[in-house]
Amino acid sequence: MHVVIFCWEFPPRRVGQLADYVRELAAQLVKNKVETYVVTSHDYLMGQSEELEGVEIYRVVNPVRAHIGVLTWVLTLNQEVERAAASIYYDTDKRIDLIDVQDWHFIPAAVTLKKAFGLPFIYSVESLEDHRSHGANSLFNVAIKSIEQLGMCEAERIVVKSEWMRDEVIKFYKVSDDMVKVIQPGSSAWISDVLETYISVAEGTKWIKN
Amino acid sequence: MDKELTVMMLTWEFPPRVVGGISTHVYNLSRSLAKNGVKVYVVTCDFPGAPQHEVVDRVEVFRTDSSKSPSPDFVTWVYLMNMNMQMEAAMLVKRLDGRVDIFHAHDWLVANAGIGLKHVFRKPLIATFHSTQVGRNGAQYMNERTIHETEYWLTYEAWRVICCSNYMVSHARWAFGLPEDKLVMIPNGVNVQEYAECKNAGLSRFRERFALPEEKIVLFVGRLVYEKGVHVLVKALPKILEGVNVKIVIVGNGYMEEKLLNLVKEMGLAHKVIFTGFVDNETLRNLHRCADVCVVPSLFEPFGIVALEAMAAESPLVISDTGGLSEIAEHDITGVKVYPDNPDSLAWGITRVLLDEDYANQLKNNAYKKVQENHDWDKISQRTKDVYETVLEEYYKSFWT
Repeated sequence: MHVVIFCWEFPPRRVGQLADYVRELAAQLVKNKVETYVVTSHDYLMGQSEELEGVEIYRVVNPVRAHIGVLTWVLTLNQEVERAAASIYYDTDKRIDLIDVQDWHFIPAAVTLKKAFGLPFIYSVESLEDHRSHGANSLFNVAIKSIEQLGMCEAERIVVKSEWMRDEVIKFYKVSDDMVKVIQPGSSAWISDVLETYISVAEGTKWIKN
Repeated sequence: MDKELTVMMLTWEFPPRVVGGISTHVYNLSRSLAKNGVKVYVVTCDFPGAPQHEVVDRVEVFRTDSSKSPSPDFVTWVYLMNMNMQMEAAMLVKRLDGRVDIFHAHDWLVANAGIGLKHVFRKPLIATFHSTQVGRNGAQYMNERTIHETEYWLTYEAWRVICCSNYMVSHARWAFGLPEDKLVMIPNGVNVQEYAECKNAGLSRFRERFALPEEKIVLFVGRLVYEKGVHVLVKALPKILEGVNVKIVIVGNGYMEEKLLNLVKEMGLAHKVIFTGFVDNETLRNLHRCADVCVVPSLFEPFGIVALEAMAAESPLVISDTGGLSEIAEHDITGVKVYPDNPDSLAWGITRVLLDEDYANQLKNNAYKKVQENHDWDKISQRTKDVYETVLEEYYKSFWT
């Protein structure tokens, strides 16, 4: 199985705890014989890619340097994420099975790749804009929520880390119960749950790609 | 290359959505390309009442969700709109089994979508630059810098950058540091037949809506924004009135409208200026035909399609000697050129045309001949097709194929 993970943070770039979580996830996937690629962002660690513990890491830099805020920064970075992901797709002879999008930032890229190649994606929710902004509804927050909404609609599966988050996702985005899978990091079943979800998404969407 | 050349045009405006000059440009270019055997798909923003899919003279038009959810600012809206446009265009290309040879983006407003599609489908991207942020009103403030850098990003990713005048070619080289072999100059076109078709009766009745019989009509058409120099025309009015009785008709919308209304009021000349707002094509063509002189007083003008339209409508032309505008007309032969940002010079040019009928007739006849020779869409689309074919030859030698 070939999996591409999108995440806006990956060591050495750490914004929160997601960076180290994704590093551990990628390492465990490699141990379980999954070909794993990570597409992430870094301002100067470039070069085409780096192999670390069997994981192929693609770091992209924002093509537009002057930004109004994090939202415009994210939206131009998405095209670079698409470029890196497309390179992986063509270099592996189109053998990518799915994309695992960690949090909302690279949802636009994942949706475009889905429309272009029939590649399914999983939306792994770390947090929601409603929690981060304490329910604020400025135009900025609403725009980010619209991207989260897009992810909820287009994802093959939504993965959350707690029962509480499952209820929050259902409450805010009205997704059906069976779309959301709770996988608790640190639990003994963690990586086998992840693998099971990957396999079920990849198997369930084979017909779209062909 | 025995199969049909297929191009996907990306533009944020296409009729009936008309904001600036890009809409008309893409409309005419696409139809002419289709006539010259190119399969054209246009992907553009939606518009109230316009269908999601239609075929216009063999051009397939797809209108995508232009992100109606609220955005904090214009740049963010543009990026979100691009996100939708790119997704829907990707779906369309997949449905066509990837049979698109070239993506052609018009201005930074569709940069993200064009660049994303280029990499996802590994097909060449061509960009037409109709203007630049540096030229419009600079790139000092944050939003302006973001736009400027997005423009730079588009030139970086494009296989060729098309500009509509020699002035714009050198401006783009300077603004983005582009190599010369990336730039191509193809002038803008104008549809001469459209003006010939509207020689209708009842023009004097139509004229009465705008001016008294003894008033000459001075026509301005354009967005009411700083770089178009409408305020210079208003400031020239007292000087013009010293020599000729005129009415200025100002067609267009823009953020300067209120400022201009106040300026006219302060000058005590509200009875000599009419603001029509945005008008439909038929009204505009009739106005062109009634006008005694058409004025393009721009401070910055990459091309100046309104000048071509005046020439096609056989209306005498006064333009400011700047940018691409300057390349359209020759002084004293196809128009009158005046100093930009100079009300006295502008008043002189307008008065000269209005007081000498023979001179005015000579100008407009020469101008009409010139647009027929140099700005015919058929020839322009042929040159555009040549650029596509050159780029495709390079593409077939690249590692993407």
